[in-house]
Amino acid sequence: MKFAKLIRRNLFRNKLRAILTMLLLAVIFFFVATLLAILDNFEEFSNSGAGSNRIVVQSAISLATLLPYSHEQKIRQLPGVVDTGKLQWIGAYYKEKSNFFANFAIDGEKMTSVWDDYKIDPKQRADFLADRRGALVAEALMKRFGWKVGDRITLKGQIFPFDPELTIRGTFIHPVDTGSLFFPMEYFQQAIGDRAEVGTFWVKVKDPKQMAALSQQIDAMFKNSDYPTETFTEKEFQQNFMSMMGNVKLLFTAVSSCAIFMVILLAAITMSMSARERVTEIAVLKAIGFEQRLVLTLMLTEFVLLTIIGGALGCFGAHYLYAFVDMGKVTQGFLQNFGIHTKTLLVCMITSAGVGLIAGGLPALRASNLRVVDGLRRVV
Amino acid sequence: MTALVEIDNVRKVYKRDAFEVPVLNGVTVDVPQGDFLALMGPSGSGKTTLLNLIAGIDRPTGGRISVDGKEISRFSETQLASWRSRHVGFIFQMYNLIPVLNAFENVELPLLLTKLSKKERREHVQAALGIVGLGDRSLHYPRQLSGGQEQRVAIARAIVTDPTLLVADEPTGDLDAKNAEETLDLLYRLNGEFKKTIVMVTHDPKAAQRAKRTLHLEKGRLVENVGMAASA
Repeated sequence: MKFAKLIRRNLFRNKLRAILTMLLLAVIFFFVATLLAILDNFEEFSNSGAGSNRIVVQSAISLATLLPYSHEQKIRQLPGVVDTGKLQWIGAYYKEKSNFFANFAIDGEKMTSVWDDYKIDPKQRADFLADRRGALVAEALMKRFGWKVGDRITLKGQIFPFDPELTIRGTFIHPVDTGSLFFPMEYFQQAIGDRAEVGTFWVKVKDPKQMAALSQQIDAMFKNSDYPTETFTEKEFQQNFMSMMGNVKLLFTAVSSCAIFMVILLAAITMSMSARERVTEIAVLKAIGFEQRLVLTLMLTEFVLLTIIGGALGCFGAHYLYAFVDMGKVTQGFLQNFGIHTKTLLVCMITSAGVGLIAGGLPALRASNLRVVDGLRRVV
Repeated sequence: MTALVEIDNVRKVYKRDAFEVPVLNGVTVDVPQGDFLALMGPSGSGKTTLLNLIAGIDRPTGGRISVDGKEISRFSETQLASWRSRHVGFIFQMYNLIPVLNAFENVELPLLLTKLSKKERREHVQAALGIVGLGDRSLHYPRQLSGGQEQRVAIARAIVTDPTLLVADEPTGDLDAKNAEETLDLLYRLNGEFKKTIVMVTHDPKAAQRAKRTLHLEKGRLVENVGMAASA
């Protein structure tokens, strides 16, 4: 492009101002990209149950209230149920409270039928099933704490009055769950005095279309019992779990919008100053034959480039930072498998171009509409 | 000589809030091809306004302006911009070079609006800088040049497209005597050697003496027409 040099030189005509503006945009877009990535992370977790053909039965009173094992027998007999399994949230930590991560007691033998999306080496799975105090650990979690298969670890219990003492018998790979630990349900039952109670039953259903009807059927079945239930699809269950954190999505979206609005105002001030400084030059360009549309295009291109460079520095900076820094470790397990997705990068880049267009639109339009004689009058 | 510029009963009125300020009141004058015309007059007499109208950067309130047979007073803004790029070269009092571009790039600017190749543009720019004697300063930025050199770069920018008409608004107004003399020599040479038609606004009688003709304006009217006063 013949005008590339003119655009580039004008972009950096005041180097300090250009660099500071880009840095400001970079910081804001780093922040926005991070917030969007956290939302993506939550969204992924919330959607992790989609398509799994599983429904989750919990107490209608609260997730903390346990249900009797006898419920499972009745649920398993319902038509359309493939299999059921018990899962209990333990809520223990490793050594220090800051080393918190997701840990569960599970029906180990059901990991091939109910939780068949967990990929486990058959030998390790057999070792796990053979050990009442065995543990299966996500590979990312093994890396986080530097554990190896065969290591003995002790977790510190918070919800239940026991400290699980475990031997790691194997690892698993799961598309979403990269930070959990499972140990046998028998060990949990022994620890709580063989009460034969558990927090949730996970039900594998033959036909996903039946999930809603089965959920209603299960809840109706226990409606008048001492332990009424509330049944969700797995996706709904994960979303309910996330909703306990409050309306994070609304909060993050509001904060991101405010940050973008602020950066538009700041960029608009910078661009107005830049355009005002060049009134005479713009008049000269128009005098020698640059049409209004060409002047507008040149100025808008310059302003959009400014914001795109700033935006790219911020969101690609975040992308590479999170690629090299283990955010699971930094956030003590809160953000697992964290990174800036291509979709988020694209949204940020489009937004940064939008910031340039909105912030620079008026100054560029005013400059391009300038009458030559008015622009020249200042110095001629 | 045939008239390159025909100005027929041109009026110009500026609106300042609720007031109308007449600047030109029925000016009629022809500028022949190859002329070197100086416009003189006190401040506010309308000489710069007349120059702007001839150059097509302003529009008359009434009357008719034709350049090279084309009635530019009827052109749209876009048509005027395109016409100026091909037919008019501008020389300003304050040179008005683009500070972020070097001498070569400043002179090349009007050529970016043409279909010339990069090689052809380079040849034209080198030729124009050669004419003004700054071939060796092509990579210098305006801040690295003296006022006289800046004005010569501005003249190179004005002539690089080989325009029909050169308009100069106080071209020596910001220069010392020596540089002013060199600039006037250059304009004189462009008119004599390269047959460029030049219209120049000036306050300086010495500058006006280098023109072939001098028009005096007062209160928006032509009051005196001194012919063929040029001297080498």
